[in-house]
Amino acid sequence: MCNCDECEQWMQPYMDRVLTDAERAEAETHLNECAYCRKRYRFEEHVRQFVRQAVVEPMPRELKQKLLELRTPLL
Amino acid sequence: MSETTREPDARRLATEARDRVRFEEDALALSDQVYRVARHLVGSREEAEDLVQETYARAFRSWRSFTPGTNLRAWLLRILTNLNIDRGRRLQRQPDQQPLEEGDYFLYNKLEETSDGLPDEERVVQRLSQNDVVSALSEVPHDFRDVVVLVDIGDFTYADAAQILDIPVGTVMSRLHRGRRILKKAMAESAVGSES
Repeated sequence: MCNCDECEQWMQPYMDRVLTDAERAEAETHLNECAYCRKRYRFEEHVRQFVRQAVVEPMPRELKQKLLELRTPLL
Repeated sequence: MSETTREPDARRLATEARDRVRFEEDALALSDQVYRVARHLVGSREEAEDLVQETYARAFRSWRSFTPGTNLRAWLLRILTNLNIDRGRRLQRQPDQQPLEEGDYFLYNKLEETSDGLPDEERVVQRLSQNDVVSALSEVPHDFRDVVVLVDIGDFTYADAAQILDIPVGTVMSRLHRGRRILKKAMAESAVGSES
């Protein structure tokens, strides 16, 4: 059983793909071995995806039309 | 006199018109993505619409200052965030307001505490509506929210977000880290209530 409090620190940078290759390899080895962290990793990934999808609002059609009208008229 | 200075005006104008039309088309093709980010940088749909319109009006006026081959979406968002600040957002800001933070796993732990078994991913979806997420996001203070919206919703890199907001990359990282925690805390409160 590992002490996984520290894993919380690399989880977000890992998901953002900003760890160095060595750190990333270490994180992946740990994720393969540790069910506790793997479960949290999957959860965090899911939350991100969920947030991204939940906040999408289609652009109003009128706005799109107004933007088209801003174009410089062709001579 | 060189050849280039004697280039006929008509030809120069035609080239410029062609470049301008192409620029406008490229910019318009990105409008859905620009709106998606704008919608969550400001409080209401109306404000977002105004802001996007103003952004495009300004972009079309100053299209010559865009360097072809660079990131047009980031360039548009830079205009948009500057306009947003010009509109007096600074006045609305409450700099002393620093919400209490919880750890990265707060939402997970909160769901785990209040559910029979371990929280699986599906439970988040079951407990949170789309509106809960939108309102949780709007609770994140501006400085932090800007970064979360650009990176997590707009898919900008840290470097792009830094350039758009005119802040160092290190600041993007720390605001993103805190912003996500604040967001997850707000989501946890929506999901399980804030009674504890």
